[in-house]
Amino acid sequence: MKARLKKLYDWVDERVQLEDLVEFMGKKYVPVHSHSVWYYFGGVSLFLFIIQVVTGILLLMYYKGSESLAFESIQFLMSKVAFGWLIRSIHSWAANLFILAAMIHMFSVYFTKAYRKPREITWLTGMLMFFLALGFGFSGYLLPWNELAFFATKVGTDIVGVVPLIGKPLMILLRGGEEVTGATLSRFFGLHVAIMPGIFTVFLTIHLLLVQRQGMSEPLGVEANAGEEMRTMPFFPNFLLRDLLLWLIVLNLLAMLAVFFPWELGRKADPFAPAPAGIKPEWYFMFMFQTLKYIPAQVLFIDGEVLGIMLFGIAGLLWMLVPFWDRRSSRGERNRVINYIGIFAVIYIIVFTILGWAS
Amino acid sequence: MKAMLLAFVGLISHGSLAAASAQVENQCLTCHETLGDKPSELFKHDIHFKKGISCAGCHGGDSTSDDMEVAMNPKAGFIGVPKGDDISRMCAKCHSSAAIMVKQYNSILPRNQIETLWESVHGKLSTTGKERIAQCTTCHDAHGIVSTKDPASPVYPLNVTKTCAKCHSDAAFMRAYNPALPVDQLDKYRTSVHGIRNKEGDVKVAECASCHGSHDIRAASDVKSKVYATNLPVTCASCHANRAYMKGYRLPIDQFGKFSKSVHGKALLEKHDLGAPSCNDCHGNHGAVPPGVESISKVCGICHALNADLFSSSPHKKAFDRRKLPECETCHGYHETVAATDELLGVSPDAVCSRCHSPSKNPKGYLVARTMRQLIDSLEAAESRAAVLVNEAEQKGMEISEARFKLRDVRQARLESRTMVHSFDEEKFRAVIEKGLGVTSAVSAEASDAIHEYYFRRWGLGVATLIITVLAVSVFLLIRRIERRQQQKK
Repeated sequence: MKARLKKLYDWVDERVQLEDLVEFMGKKYVPVHSHSVWYYFGGVSLFLFIIQVVTGILLLMYYKGSESLAFESIQFLMSKVAFGWLIRSIHSWAANLFILAAMIHMFSVYFTKAYRKPREITWLTGMLMFFLALGFGFSGYLLPWNELAFFATKVGTDIVGVVPLIGKPLMILLRGGEEVTGATLSRFFGLHVAIMPGIFTVFLTIHLLLVQRQGMSEPLGVEANAGEEMRTMPFFPNFLLRDLLLWLIVLNLLAMLAVFFPWELGRKADPFAPAPAGIKPEWYFMFMFQTLKYIPAQVLFIDGEVLGIMLFGIAGLLWMLVPFWDRRSSRGERNRVINYIGIFAVIYIIVFTILGWAS
Repeated sequence: MKAMLLAFVGLISHGSLAAASAQVENQCLTCHETLGDKPSELFKHDIHFKKGISCAGCHGGDSTSDDMEVAMNPKAGFIGVPKGDDISRMCAKCHSSAAIMVKQYNSILPRNQIETLWESVHGKLSTTGKERIAQCTTCHDAHGIVSTKDPASPVYPLNVTKTCAKCHSDAAFMRAYNPALPVDQLDKYRTSVHGIRNKEGDVKVAECASCHGSHDIRAASDVKSKVYATNLPVTCASCHANRAYMKGYRLPIDQFGKFSKSVHGKALLEKHDLGAPSCNDCHGNHGAVPPGVESISKVCGICHALNADLFSSSPHKKAFDRRKLPECETCHGYHETVAATDELLGVSPDAVCSRCHSPSKNPKGYLVARTMRQLIDSLEAAESRAAVLVNEAEQKGMEISEARFKLRDVRQARLESRTMVHSFDEEKFRAVIEKGLGVTSAVSAEASDAIHEYYFRRWGLGVATLIITVLAVSVFLLIRRIERRQQQKK
């Protein structure tokens, strides 16, 4: 068996010269310290994204992106296609776990200040991918064309519409008209399966290349204490196998969720029906939705909703540009303010998400 | 002196001081009488004249003056003949006034006649917009107005039909206002029990105003109309459920009570289902008569067309005709027609078939009835079993909406079989039942598959979890082995 594998390796090596790559991988090390566990969440996010791509392609074989057929095609997939229910449930659950893993990954990078020079581009591409992931979630939610999705999209795109200047045209662009209709479904379908995956792939390639090129960042505190040489482990095979172990655990979790909590389809959307009670956005939008509910209708001379959206917009932008204004971390100095901001953000998101679900 | 003499003559001739003094002062009448015109002749019989109201009461001017220039002087308020809506307004001046009607004339007449008239279909439906269709004088006349209890009144029960028909039987006139409205109401009415008795002089039977109202007549399609489908049973019952009023007519008075409890009455009066029949749908409205033995299936067949057709071509048709049994009514009753359930079918004591069929009497029909009941019971049982399986699959979180939808077809087959009962043909009935049983089998199979799939998924998950866990443990052991080797190398 070993001889055969060696023969195959030699055959490929003879043609594409694998030696350089093997040498590069052999020299690649991952720092080992008390915060090393956070390194795995990037890998978990990547694994879940791959699951999304694979299950998404399988779903595409049956899904029909039109107002009259979308719901029925999912219904058919779930009741008649062998393992169709499993693929859809895994796609839905993996989408949520993907955003959760990406969020944990983002916060771990933030708190360990791994975004600091020279990894500004890695952070930027990561943030852009995170926003795209939210976009995937928002657009994918509408695709089954069920009652909850329809009204959640209506509310969501209404919020986009209140953004000053560009809001209204952006809302019409998203909806394909004044209202959420079959045109919106077509657009969201296009965005979900073609436009966003294309852009995402570009950012992902840059992100992964930079991670490989620059290696894993060492947290500031760990770096400062290092009197002697930092403990490391080889990326290949030690880190990669650990990654694989975690991926298998996540896969197990996904299978259990899909079987014990199959993703419901609900009732077909009826644009003329009144909105059902208790319309809520997906959990990752909940803290923003809940905040908008608490802001008074008018704050000084600004409309409350506009103010909320502007504040979230500015906060998101500042968060994305943190490598450029957190100069102290880049210089290798401690910056407690960054930690306080991060802790505030985490607590805020958790509290407001819980409030949103409880209300 | 001359005036005193005239007053004395008046007192004798009219027997009323007021009328006498009015006549004395009513110079208009004096002159117009000499002219021999019809209004002045009619006015002498008018209730207003008898109450002492002069011509000036409606026409204005000074009726006490024998000088035409003074009596008909516009400055003295003379308006001549009131036109259009001014006619009704002129009547309402007194008839809406409590000070005049109650205090002066001690009248108990309602004082909202003009309001109700103007709210009515006659008040609202105008083609010109200038004046309403009907004024007070349209029905009550202008100069010979008498009490509605006076047989001479155009709105007296025996005359009112003719009064209404003046317009309502005039196709050319009615076309201008409501071309869709039939103009044969009076003709139909004359064929009805009400119409016949009315012609014979019975003032108690229903005429136009009894059902439609008088001043407050509304279109039959108006929900406030007394003849609107949901109001009509109460309107009919106002006479037909009144024991004292109906005394002497040898009719039962429990129709409304029975109808209210019937499947039709509940649908109409409780659910406000306008598709359900009201009194007139079976008895006719203007031509109201009780449907006879011959026509009862035709009446029911207006709505229950398929049932009536099937019955007409069934062996029961001849048998019923021979025994002079009313068709639908024999099994379903009338007025108190309850919802038809499967219990009506079969040979049990509650079943209607057993009234005529027994093992010794009409045994063939007995066997057919028993078989039909068994068949419909088997379909119902199969439907229940299928529904239980669908519910179980749904509770297990399985997507089974298609099977749930197909259950409707079973219900449809059951309804169809209830219709097919009226053919009293076992083969036809069996075909419908078997169609339903076929669907229940398919639904049950689909639901059972979904339940099996549910357990298969759990088993599948167990196997998949086991494989993934073995893989994960293997990877874990591999890491340990590699790292132990790496340690040893160091």
